[in-house]
Order: sequence, then structure tokens, then C-alpha cells
Amino acid sequence: MKHAVGVLVVLVLVASPMSAMVLVPADFVDMVSGSQLVVYGRVIDVRSQMVGDRRTIESVVTVSVAQAIKGDPGATVSVRVPGGVVGRYRRVMVGAPSFRPGEDVVLFLSGRPPAIPMPFGLSQGVYRVARTADGRGLVAPPPLVEGRVVRGDPARAPMDVTSFVAQVKAAMERRP
Amino acid sequence: MTRHVRGAIAALMAAALTLNVSPAYGYLHLSVTTASGTKALVWKTPRVRWFASDRGVPGVTASQFQAEIAQAFATWEAVPTASIAFQFVGFTSASPNDEDGLTVLGFDSQPDLERVLGATSFVLDDVTGEIVESDVFFNAIFTWSVSAAGDPTRFDLQSVAVHEIGHVLGLGHSALGETEIRPEGGRRVLASGAVMFPISLGRGAIADRTLQPDDIAGASDLYPDGGFTENTGGLLGRVLLNGRGVLGAHVEAMSVATGAIIAGFSLRESGEFQIRGLAPGAYVVRVEPLDDADIESFFSATGVDINFQAAFSPRLAVAPAGGTSERFDVTVRPK
Repeated sequence: MKHAVGVLVVLVLVASPMSAMVLVPADFVDMVSGSQLVVYGRVIDVRSQMVGDRRTIESVVTVSVAQAIKGDPGATVSVRVPGGVVGRYRRVMVGAPSFRPGEDVVLFLSGRPPAIPMPFGLSQGVYRVARTADGRGLVAPPPLVEGRVVRGDPARAPMDVTSFVAQVKAAMERRP
Repeated sequence: MTRHVRGAIAALMAAALTLNVSPAYGYLHLSVTTASGTKALVWKTPRVRWFASDRGVPGVTASQFQAEIAQAFATWEAVPTASIAFQFVGFTSASPNDEDGLTVLGFDSQPDLERVLGATSFVLDDVTGEIVESDVFFNAIFTWSVSAAGDPTRFDLQSVAVHEIGHVLGLGHSALGETEIRPEGGRRVLASGAVMFPISLGRGAIADRTLQPDDIAGASDLYPDGGFTENTGGLLGRVLLNGRGVLGAHVEAMSVATGAIIAGFSLRESGEFQIRGLAPGAYVVRVEPLDDADIESFFSATGVDINFQAAFSPRLAVAPAGGTSERFDVTVRPK
């Protein structure tokens, strides 16, 4: 497990910070309960557009659903996030997630049809899935144990997607 | 940061040092990447002009809103080692989310963002990377207070404004803070060591009206003035795991003399970090993973490593005035 988890380090050459918001904290059960949809899937398309009488830029992200963990989204689900690029202008809401095709994600989504949902608490509702050398998907573990959340706690190592899904379902049983 | 938490961190650091464990690093700057490379997001104008929305909410009139925002701007302008100035232009009926070339701060109702008290957006020229405008909205679905002492039933407008204006300056989020899962359910912040910590301290809290050392160092590093460059120093190092660099490790430097904590992150694949803006002297350095937070709130990129245990530098690091420490490595162990 430790060996496999090592690849979580992965990819990016330079991390580019772009965050800027104040959040009301949510615990994992809050997030599961407050999300109408929870899906595991792969980003297949990202399109930016002007909305609100062409006054602001947002992006619609299409995710191919590999597993519907909560709700029934169908084969694909569309997700709305602030920001994007239209023409020469880029809008960035600091702290809002951005996506690229090919990324694997677990998304906690709020908003009822016909509205296009958004990630719960924006960045809070996005769990990136990293791939190990043998192809397993790993996810950051949600803090679940009561008390102070200690960074670096060996008990909270990255977990595989199957275990993460089980955590979501357990939370659904506590508070549907 | 509260005295209680600072004491606890100091005690933890001391304990770890005696155990001969390993090291760590502070604040983030926003950056923009164009065809010509990546650069810090900073204002080029000597005075940033801003408008206040003419919309009030229950408990806060438009003029009260403007006064609180002006005070929040003044808080950043008062940093003696930074040079940044703002100018209130007037009220506007424009929304703080409109792309209109104006920098607007105001209330806006965003029920889809049910956990977001406020947020800052930039519109950038995607070719040059220059800032076209920056808007800040305060979510009108929450109840807000302008009470001098705070209102335990409402969120303090000025506190959130100081945080958001830190973003307008070009600062990202600080990870200097910790949370707990409450026995009755829910999560709350126990304490934070920077206004730029992204999670609210809760209704009634006004602590974030006051900048902390990490905030001051971050703003001064972006807009240096008052001898900042000559009179402060930096730490330079790498975070390593199994001989390779760690991306996204949070690195904290605590002054042995004052207990002030300034932090940063290893932002390269090599695990390299650099913390600037430190008062000259000796520092205890601690490294930890961002495994308790939504990483998206700190980095727009994926690939951040969270699978390691917190560690301390085995020896003190020394920040020289006007310079940078010799590079040192902090080795962490996997979970």
C-alpha cells in the first residue's frame, strides 16, 4: 500500500496557486447529506461560456460517470464552475476548482434540475483521483474521527476509490 | 493565532526537536501563466481604484458596507513594509460579478455557493497576464454584521473583507490553522495563524480584522517597501521523501525569538521551498502534508503529495538579514 501510494506525488511541475474565498466549514457527513449527486467519473469536456446577459464567464464540465454513488445522474453529468476563458479574457475565482479532460474525480454536487449542479462548497466537493502504477485510483481520506484533525496522521493515508465510496455510503446511512 | 494554539505548536515543535525528527515552510502568491511564462499576480498601478456596490443587506446599509471595506483596505495599506494603495471611486449599481473593467466589491446573493461567505475573482488579459479587474462578492444568503465588537449571530463583514482584499493584492491562502470534527457533528476552526487561512472562524469572530505575521510577510514580499528586502531574510530548502522531491508540502518557520510563524509550500516537483520576509534569526522548521483540507483551495494543480508524516528539521535554520539561508533538506517519512 505504501509503495503504491507513493505515486500520489505525481505530475505537476509547478503548482500554481489561485484561491480566494472564505468558506464555512463542512464535515464529510454534511457534504454527503448536502449533495444531491455524488459521482465517480472522468472529465471528458470543459467549455467556457459567457452567462448572465454575457456579463460573467463560467465553465461547464462534462463528466463521464463510472459510478453513481448518490443520485441517478445518467451516463454523463454536467457541472458548473466559476471562471474560464472566453476570447482574450480569463476569469479566475480564486479557490474555485478547475478541470481538464482526462482527470478522474469524485464529485459531490449540489443543485437540483434543471439547474446545472455545482460542486458542494466549490473546492470542498472535489476529490481528485490519482492513479498508481498498477492503475488503482487513490483519493485523499476525509477526516472522520471526532476531535482535532492532525495533519500527517498515519491513520489517514490515501485510500482506494472503493474504500472511499464505502465511506460515502456509510455517511449516507448516518444522514441520508 | 491564539496564545493557546501558538503555545501548543511551540510545544510540539520543541518535542519533535528533542526526538530529532525532521523540517518544513508559508504564504502563497497568486500567479498567472501565459505563453511567456508564469509570474506573480500583482497590480502595476500605483493606486488601485475600487467601487462599492450600492446594495445593502439586512443589518448593513450600503454606506456601512463602504466604510467597512474602506477600513479593510486601510488595514493592508498600513503594513509598514509594503507599498500598496487603494482609492474609493464611488458607489455603483454594477454587480461584483460583472465583467465590466471595474473593480467592484459588494453583496450578491449566490445560493448555489451555500458554503462560500465571500470570494474574489480576477479578469485577466490571457495574452499579457495583466489584471483587467478584480471583484469581490459577499454572499447575501448569510447574515452580516458591522458591529465593532462583533455579533455572535452574524458573520463579521470587515474580517471577511480583510481576507478577500488580501486576495485582491495577489495573496493566496495560508494553511496556518487547524480544525476539529465536533462530537455533535460538523467541523470548526480551532485557531488560525493567518487572516488568509480560508476557513471562517465562525459567527461573531472578529480576529481576522488584524493581520498576522504571515499575512504581513506575504504582502510585503509582493509590494516591498520600508527596508523590507534589506531587513528580512529567507529560508531555502527542499522536502524529500525517499530521495525525491515532495510537491505541496506545507512548511512552517517559527521564530525562536518571538514565536511568530510564517509558512509556505514546496511548489516544485523538486520539493524546493523558499520562505521570505523573515525577521533575521533562528527558526524551527516543520513540514506537514495538506491532508486535512480541500487542496483545491490552495492549488489549482493536481499532484500534491499528502502521503507523508509531519516532520521537523533536525537543526535550527538561520535567516540572515538581506539574504537567504544555505539550502537544507527536510526528509519526511511515508505514512
